[in-house]
Amino acid sequence: MTGRLYANAIGFAAPGIESAATLFAHFDGADWSGAEDWTPISQRLPRRQALRLSESTQLAIMVAEQIAGAVPQDAAWVFASSVGEGQTLAEILTALSQPEIMVQPLRFQNSVHNAAQGQWSIVAQATGPATSIAAYDHSVGAGLLKAMMQAAIENVAVGLVVFDAPMPPPLHEKRRFDLPMAAAMALSPEPRPESRWALDIEVIARAAPSDLGRINAAPGLLDCGNPVRYILPLLERMRRSDGQAVVLGLPGGGGLKVTINEVSHAD
Amino acid sequence: MTGTPPIALDRIAITRLSAVTCLGRGQNAHTDAMTAGRSGLTRCDFPNVDIACYIGRVDGVEGDAFPAEHLAFENRATRLAVAALRADGFERYVAVAIGRWGAGRVGIVLGTATSGVERLEQAFRARVEAGPLAAEYSFRHHSDHHAVASFMIDYLGLGGPGYTISTACSSSAKSIVDGAQLIQMGICDAVLAGGVDSLCMTSLYGFDTLELVSQGPCRPCDAARDGVSIGEGAGFVLLERDRDGARLAGYGETSDAISMSTPPADGAGAATAMRRALRSAGISADEIGFIKLHGTATRSNDAAESTAVAQVFGTSVPTASLKGLVGHTLGAAGAVEAVMGLFAMEAGIVPGTVGLETRDREITIQVRKHAEPGACRHMVSNAFGFGGSNNTLILSQA
Repeated sequence: MTGRLYANAIGFAAPGIESAATLFAHFDGADWSGAEDWTPISQRLPRRQALRLSESTQLAIMVAEQIAGAVPQDAAWVFASSVGEGQTLAEILTALSQPEIMVQPLRFQNSVHNAAQGQWSIVAQATGPATSIAAYDHSVGAGLLKAMMQAAIENVAVGLVVFDAPMPPPLHEKRRFDLPMAAAMALSPEPRPESRWALDIEVIARAAPSDLGRINAAPGLLDCGNPVRYILPLLERMRRSDGQAVVLGLPGGGGLKVTINEVSHAD
Repeated sequence: MTGTPPIALDRIAITRLSAVTCLGRGQNAHTDAMTAGRSGLTRCDFPNVDIACYIGRVDGVEGDAFPAEHLAFENRATRLAVAALRADGFERYVAVAIGRWGAGRVGIVLGTATSGVERLEQAFRARVEAGPLAAEYSFRHHSDHHAVASFMIDYLGLGGPGYTISTACSSSAKSIVDGAQLIQMGICDAVLAGGVDSLCMTSLYGFDTLELVSQGPCRPCDAARDGVSIGEGAGFVLLERDRDGARLAGYGETSDAISMSTPPADGAGAATAMRRALRSAGISADEIGFIKLHGTATRSNDAAESTAVAQVFGTSVPTASLKGLVGHTLGAAGAVEAVMGLFAMEAGIVPGTVGLETRDREITIQVRKHAEPGACRHMVSNAFGFGGSNNTLILSQA
């Protein structure tokens, strides 16, 4: 089955890369060496509110903000993350293992996997459908699959956000992400004036995901363990816009084959 | 990419159902308890939990045989999944569906709020000081959000696409929508959808710290209601194209965009979800025979939902909350309660609200106290969650 989505804006965030334009420059050869003590920065969240939110929620909101201008108010939002609020979970689990158990109320309500999506809906006043998806190392593929279905069936624009941030010890040793990383795409079922790419998406069986080793990007980004890195082949092809395809893995052994074409606006 | 999807929603049948809760395992246990108005809630005896409350605990799930080749995934959540797969022979019908359509055409969408975190709680408590977790503890097999779905993919031999939805207490209602969408798009011919959540310290202490846990069995819509009773369970539906069975006639989803944990008093987001569901099903409000409320029994949730229901349906449609029977099964609630609603439709009863004695004057809709015989062609099933996530399903009898 094949469907077409139009991509109208891209967002990206990782230490030392705070926009898709910076990522594209890196694909083109600009250096990247990370950034010590980097933290995600939101333009819209009041500073005091941001301090109460986890790194993963702030990271997701940071990339959502980058595409928000290209996402209509009534759009659907799909957030995808493997571990979601791992940092908040670790704090709760530590509290639950103390002799005197005391869980902070705000911490609990912000521990749900859809905390980032819920907080973003409040920031953006986005009242449309929204979901929060997890699929271990295939969370990027599952998120794009859901975005495609939602856009096609409900004929709505979709904001897609994929994000994961490192968890603190002792969870870090069990699921190691060396970097926080997030990406976002403003997608629509029909071309819009700002559409830059057409993505032809096909669900295929028994597919090997695109090899990260073929991408022209720093090993520190490709080997960071963060499942968001599996979106890099797609973003690199979008940079090249050369009609080539990439495959994003899906749980179950299949994949999403995405063929990227630049949209020409003949006006 | 616009236009009609390859498979219309009304071609998708709910061919099999399963539910496991504190009421028991399978259709008869749930139908009998709904008919008799018999609650499964008991005084909290969950290990390491010192909270005066009632819980909906699935009896004996700790002692069930677990599939030997998949022991790496063994935890309370996957045990609940296995119990629901075995109830009423559900897993045999999954195997039949795999035979009918081919493994690669059968997918899964699973809803869960906490996955196997109960095992991780134990691993944290077993640590020495602030040291590492035990070497044998596997995040991927237990507390990862996708762990239960991964287990089910391996155990059942599903080869189609699958993923996990985790939007707190609306998770598994949304899984039924996404399962249907996979078939509508022609990506799958059959999808196992539903949800699983187990009792755990995280949920019990978490809701307690928000002062949302009732000391007694929960009392939805009652004037004296004072919070939820946490439960656990699993509820599954098997969706297949071009088969006989009940239908997901329509659905509606919205976000409150106002608070992480409290709906607006006017229930605006919930009301819009219900209106969208009616529009998507192509039926009018007066064709709905029963509204299965989310009905958590907190002060603000029940009042807001009642206001929303009254806006869309008026005040004469029979409604009930099932949480006095099974407790709030959190991420599993949307599917568990939709399945119970379908059981009730099949049995020809309209369920009642166990725990309701005196309806709150703020609540103007008709909340049934007791189950009564009654035919119902179309029912509404509401599920709302933290993050302002609203989901309404419309389920129709075959």
